Amino acid sequence: MESITLTADLDALAKISAFITAAAERCGLDERATWQVQLAVDEAVTNVIQHAYDPDQPGDLTLSWQCHDHRFIVTVRDHGRQFDPSTVPVPDITSPLEERQVGGLGIYLITRLMDEVHFEFSPQGGNLLTMVKYLPHDQPAEANEVVVIAINDRIDALTAPRVSKLVNERISNGARQVVLDLSNVSFLSSSGLRALLLIRKELMTLGGELRLAALQPQVYEVFTITGFTQVFNIHPSVSEARAAFSQRR
Amino acid sequence: MELNHRRLNRVDLIEVIGRVDAASAPQLKQLIESLFADGRYRIVLDLSRLEYISSPGLRVLIEARKKARDWKITDLEGGDIRIANLPPRIKEVFDLTGFSSLFEIYGDTVEAVGSF
Repeated sequence: MESITLTADLDALAKISAFITAAAERCGLDERATWQVQLAVDEAVTNVIQHAYDPDQPGDLTLSWQCHDHRFIVTVRDHGRQFDPSTVPVPDITSPLEERQVGGLGIYLITRLMDEVHFEFSPQGGNLLTMVKYLPHDQPAEANEVVVIAINDRIDALTAPRVSKLVNERISNGARQVVLDLSNVSFLSSSGLRALLLIRKELMTLGGELRLAALQPQVYEVFTITGFTQVFNIHPSVSEARAAFSQRR
Repeated sequence: MELNHRRLNRVDLIEVIGRVDAASAPQLKQLIESLFADGRYRIVLDLSRLEYISSPGLRVLIEARKKARDWKITDLEGGDIRIANLPPRIKEVFDLTGFSSLFEIYGDTVEAVGSF
């Protein structure tokens, strides 16, 4: 999950729009769905700016997102006055101009643009709005498969960028369940370890998972010394790493 | 958001460019109200370069059209806010909110200006 916390004023709108657009693209939403999420989030944040706090004393708002199980989940939290969506009348979009109410369009748009919308309030947590957009069904080919990538070199400061590039290309093609076959890696430096940590974090953000397989003893030792055996999923062989994915599902 | 305003003979033409959200909508409202204050109630909004509009912008449009329509010379002739050039994304917002049937929408500015 990634978050951004800002003062709830009008300056926040452009920043939040850029933040959520980049996030939606990373999660694999297409251009239209990204635009819909952008508009829904903008409406939600506008609502907080205009109604949650006194204009001369704006508080904070926190926007978070995650990709999980083919869903893009966005939350907007504020600690302003309680918002009760049932008090906002649903606009009659068929009424003629003379009778047409001017307000209430923001919440209405959010419910039309997103697949799920939930409001919660608690005295400690404040207002929490959760909005979910389903990812399109035609997922990239690799999204549902276990993708095995063999690394055939030392992973050190010099080669780590190449390894990262190789793996990130597969991730942008949709790979989410990734096994790195390290059987041909004879050496792993701290830069290499950092590159693997970043790959792991990126996959987790996107709702995927990284597994490492077939480590040579001296490479495995790097993990035990640094305590990273607790952080990474490490398997004796590629087939066992694969099996671990299928057990989970 | 950027606004280009051109005063024609009987009609004022406003090109609305970029993003109309809670931060920029008040500027659009201000320009339209300044035209009303000059007695100019026939306005065409050229939206060909509008990239984005959220509910505060929609609110400005609907309030402005209500005011413009209240100004009448005869029963058949009076003020109005009319739209020219609706990009696909903006049309989608108009369709979702019922604005498509709330406004007179024209394919280009010549047609929209000529409709008055």
